[in-house]
Amino acid sequence: MNKTFLIIQREYLTRVRKRSFIISTLLLPILYLGLIFGTSYIAEKSSTSLNIAIVDSSGYFDRGAIERENQRDSSSRLTYVEMHPDSLKNNFSQLGYDGFLVIPADINWETGEPGGLPIYTSRTFGFEGVAPIKSKLNNIWSAVKNEKLGIDDNKRKILQTSQINLSPRDTNESVSNSGIATTIGYISGFLMYMMILIYGSQVMLGVMEEKTNRIAEVIVSSVKPFQLMLGKIVGIAMVALTQFILWILFMFVIYNVTKSTSAGSDSISSIIGGVQDVFTSVNVPLILFCFIFYMLGGFFFYSSLYAAIGSSVNEGVQEVQSLSFPVTMLVILSLAMMSAAMKDPTGPVAVWGSFIPFSSPIIMMARIPFGVPGTVPWWQLGLSMASLIAGFLFTTWFAAKIYRTGILMYGKKPSWKEMMKWAMRK
Amino acid sequence: MPLLELKHLQKSFATQKAVNDISLQIEEGQIFGLLGPNGAGKTTLIRMITGIFYPDSGEIFLDGKKFDPVNDIGKIGYMPEERGLYKKMKIGEQALYLAQLKGLKKMDATRKIKTWFERLDMESWWNKKVEDLSKGMSQKLQFVTTILHEPRLIILDEPFSGLDPVNANLIKDEIYNLAQKGSTVIFSTHRMEQVEEICDHIALVNKGQKILDGTVKQVRHDFKEHLYRVEFENELMAEHLAIHLFEVVKKGNQEVTIKLDPGYTNNDVLQYFIHKDLKISAFNEILPSLNDIFIKLVEGTPTARQFTS
Repeated sequence: MNKTFLIIQREYLTRVRKRSFIISTLLLPILYLGLIFGTSYIAEKSSTSLNIAIVDSSGYFDRGAIERENQRDSSSRLTYVEMHPDSLKNNFSQLGYDGFLVIPADINWETGEPGGLPIYTSRTFGFEGVAPIKSKLNNIWSAVKNEKLGIDDNKRKILQTSQINLSPRDTNESVSNSGIATTIGYISGFLMYMMILIYGSQVMLGVMEEKTNRIAEVIVSSVKPFQLMLGKIVGIAMVALTQFILWILFMFVIYNVTKSTSAGSDSISSIIGGVQDVFTSVNVPLILFCFIFYMLGGFFFYSSLYAAIGSSVNEGVQEVQSLSFPVTMLVILSLAMMSAAMKDPTGPVAVWGSFIPFSSPIIMMARIPFGVPGTVPWWQLGLSMASLIAGFLFTTWFAAKIYRTGILMYGKKPSWKEMMKWAMRK
Repeated sequence: MPLLELKHLQKSFATQKAVNDISLQIEEGQIFGLLGPNGAGKTTLIRMITGIFYPDSGEIFLDGKKFDPVNDIGKIGYMPEERGLYKKMKIGEQALYLAQLKGLKKMDATRKIKTWFERLDMESWWNKKVEDLSKGMSQKLQFVTTILHEPRLIILDEPFSGLDPVNANLIKDEIYNLAQKGSTVIFSTHRMEQVEEICDHIALVNKGQKILDGTVKQVRHDFKEHLYRVEFENELMAEHLAIHLFEVVKKGNQEVTIKLDPGYTNNDVLQYFIHKDLKISAFNEILPSLNDIFIKLVEGTPTARQFTS
């Protein structure tokens, strides 16, 4: 046992010290920070924009209405000018405008014709760029129409605010926010998929390295092959766990820091608000616990298969690919099943997928955010966990037998049939 | 009492018997040569002695007691033919890790590694990585990791392959030293000249069976073909050699190699030559080299068996 611990320690320390581990661990929080500050930066950047001169031939757009709009929203500016369009066309840049637009005299208040007013600018702006201008014009235009139709402020308010909204409620659940649950489900499922593939292949490559370096024989003259395999798998599982816990910690710190410093900025606090919604609408501790459980369970299930494959391979990436393809397919298939499970989290695909050990880490993790025991009854969660434990005990036992023979077997590439024979031998 | 005793060991893989009923006794302090062509079953035999494989039948006794891989592994140091080390690991850490896997305490292991590194001029290597070492250098490191825990039984599979003469001698001296201090060394190879030089005792294995076992001297005597080389001071004439005592194998101007006919002794030959008034300057028996014996015994058998299962 002591020796297994030594192996775990080595596997863990050599990996955690690697630059690639540190980079990938920092990358996610940096992306998260980038999301918060990037969006707020872009929001502020785009608000320092257009100053457009407006020539009104219709008489609807008077100086006062335009000024009111400018005061309401300072992210763009309309300036009422009395000039001939042709002279404006030649001079608007010198006069300090980014562009100009002409309201034709024959504009029809009932049909809005002629639509598609040209806005002339020195640079090209897309639809997004001119959107603030459009919304200001439409605000003024609405006021014009309201006046013509005889709609006063009260009626206008009713028209604007009275709408029917939908809010999904699960009959078993007090609060269920399906939008947030879907997002978290997707993120959890996808994260699980990545963790299994990335760390599973690390196990495979690690075993291959030991075999092709021929150090395996030295080690197995000191420890049992099973100890070597188990040490590697557990060591790498600890690396995955460390990375995940660090992510959670980083997120927690970033969340708290940005929350306390975000008083000034609207866009940051709106993202913070979104995160706050998550905390209140799903059971975060349960999700974290389940994630760690399914991550370890799924990892043990797959990585022992990957270890068996790594031990059977002699050299060469092609050999690994052809042997590991069926196992990798199972992971990818689970991800494909996840989309179906997300659409109907209580449907047969979702339920069966979360019992079968090869897909349960991804499928169950995608379902859990929808609510326990609402969408996922306790008995399903229990059965899924139990079958995953049984599953990885089986794969570990099975893989150990292949590993034991494979790790010292050099020469030609074994077929799946031969590997089965190794496994069946006592 | 022998340090290691193998009784009727057998190990089969799916298609063939890799080791077929091999028994051996190796005394304490011996340097024992385990010889055999490629695929003879040497590696399988060694893997059973090191506890990597379990024998299908037969027994292994280490130090008089039945071999127990889990507890006895610390008494054995094994250097496989295919050397392997973790390429990205620092050399000091690597040696420490392997020593700890053998059951040494960290402090103890560190001290011993330092001593050995000094002794073999490796002190400056501690923080280097294996990938920075030459093949010979990593061989030295591997040797150190094999013997660090002071095993009673050291098993070296082709220990000199890839070493330059200077380092080979360095390792050879260390092997002698260890044997002197009471360690038993099993030395597996197919390089016969090294065996003749180093080993006291040999066993020859072919096709999974032991075909020969004994001291180097004894084996060479057992396989002698009664060949003698005689040198003369005066010139040798053809008529001098027409005699029923011997057959001429090779004749030179002043020397001849002869094969004694059965029933005659060296003295008969000497008397005959003296009688002919030939002045003998040298008379030597030609003992076969281990290489000759090896080739003679193994020749004609398919040398490389494929171990696939």
